Amino acid sequence: MRTGAVNALYATGTFVVVLLAWQVIVSALHLAAYFIPTPLEILAALVSERVVYAANLLITLWSTLLAFVIATAIAVILGALVSEVLFLRRTVYPLLIALQSMPRIALAPVIIVWFGFGISSKVVLGAFTAFFPIFLNTVHGIATTDRDHLALMRTLRANRWQVFCKVKLPGALPFLLAGANIAIIFAILAVIVGEFLGANRGMGYLIVNESNQMDMAGVFASIFLLSAAGLCFHYGLGFLRRWLLFWAASSEPDADGS
Amino acid sequence: MSAAAQRLSGNPGHAAAVRILELRTVRKTYRTLRRDNIVALSPTSLAFEAGEFVSIVGPSGCGKTTLLNITSGLLRPSAGAILFRGSTVDGPTPEISMVFQRPVLLPWRKVIDNVLLPVEVLGLRPAQSFRERAAELLAMLGLTGFAETYPRELSGGMQQRVAIARALIYDSSVLLMDEPFASLDAMTREELNLELLRIWEVTGRTIVFVTHNIPEAVLLSDRVVVMTPRPGKVSAVIPVPLPRPRSLSLLGDPAFGCIVSEVRELLRVRSEVVARAGEA
Repeated sequence: MRTGAVNALYATGTFVVVLLAWQVIVSALHLAAYFIPTPLEILAALVSERVVYAANLLITLWSTLLAFVIATAIAVILGALVSEVLFLRRTVYPLLIALQSMPRIALAPVIIVWFGFGISSKVVLGAFTAFFPIFLNTVHGIATTDRDHLALMRTLRANRWQVFCKVKLPGALPFLLAGANIAIIFAILAVIVGEFLGANRGMGYLIVNESNQMDMAGVFASIFLLSAAGLCFHYGLGFLRRWLLFWAASSEPDADGS
Repeated sequence: MSAAAQRLSGNPGHAAAVRILELRTVRKTYRTLRRDNIVALSPTSLAFEAGEFVSIVGPSGCGKTTLLNITSGLLRPSAGAILFRGSTVDGPTPEISMVFQRPVLLPWRKVIDNVLLPVEVLGLRPAQSFRERAAELLAMLGLTGFAETYPRELSGGMQQRVAIARALIYDSSVLLMDEPFASLDAMTREELNLELLRIWEVTGRTIVFVTHNIPEAVLLSDRVVVMTPRPGKVSAVIPVPLPRPRSLSLLGDPAFGCIVSEVRELLRVRSEVVARAGEA
């Protein structure tokens, strides 16, 4: 616990030093605000435009969360089906593996044409991107179920459903959550790219606008907000992980996330 | 005098010899990648009487785990048949429960819920009475107060006790144990041996116990099945006509020492023969 507090102190200290150096260097070199803003200018932009930021951030976060939840649901169900049903493993699985090697972000223009300028196109793109890490990890997790656990269930003549619910799914959970950690980052990336390309709201749309108006302080403020959001997602999943995987030996690295 | 009859003196309440489980010329061969047939178990016939405690000893690779897995129905024999109460067994049955070499507990379940796993899977009712029974079993195995903990908080010996409680929660007639105490230290092992004997005396189950520890086998059993490797086969069945109930003081008994030497000698002679045959 004390080590944690000390680590946090070091991390915060480093952060403050970097910001100070940034402020001092940019002011000293008299760099133009449209080239690179100082941290104070970014803060000023954040405060003065807070209503705009709040509204757009909410859109982006909502799209990301929706995309993530949809991706997780579909990935776990498909992962389970592909693992359990031989016919699907022979047909659907190779198809998904082929799709996985496609650069999914490249599909953004197509998806915007299909689903429009609203948030649905971002949710679809985000979900499509976030699907694969969770799906692949679920399949892998189920495939690596402890063989002795399976033997135990066989001695009890457990049916397929019992084996799946009581042994395979809980056993795959650590893998699934590791996939989710990657998926949430994929989702937020995809949503922002979607908003870059065609949207009338959201942080991606805002960044493009600010950039077009040479409002660098605004762009940096947006980036800062997105980083903070990413960090929140990361910690949220960490919390979920500790809550769901309390039974597994702690495998969190010490300097996690800082 | 049969082994079971011998035991009756120390163990009233057990019925006279009833053949509960029988292996009839069971054989197992594996096909390797080079398409050779490896004989894991040469044709073996064994019969177990109800309430009997039988150990199977032998060096590693002698097919004792194969024999046990075939008996449990987890593994299909290449030839031969397993009969439970006279009818053929062609897969696992709740009549035969198994304790593995590792505890094989589900880490996401509390100790009590691990013990109750068979109750859930087999759909046994009423749940409340099994809950009470699980608590009794845990108490019997010295795990009072650990029902609500998770497996990773327990030592290896305690985890194996939970596995034993799980195998005892439902009324199987035969308990198969595959080197259940192999990974435990000597003291924990002795303690668990005595507990196992007590449980066996109380529950009257048939126990087939695989081990590579000869004194352990002799201490526990009515009969010791000696197996030799390459190809795995039963080379002798040694009766253990020592009085029951048994305690650790038996370890210093000359009669006990004699049987241990006899088994050891059998294992040694057989492996020499096998070694010589290999050289020729």
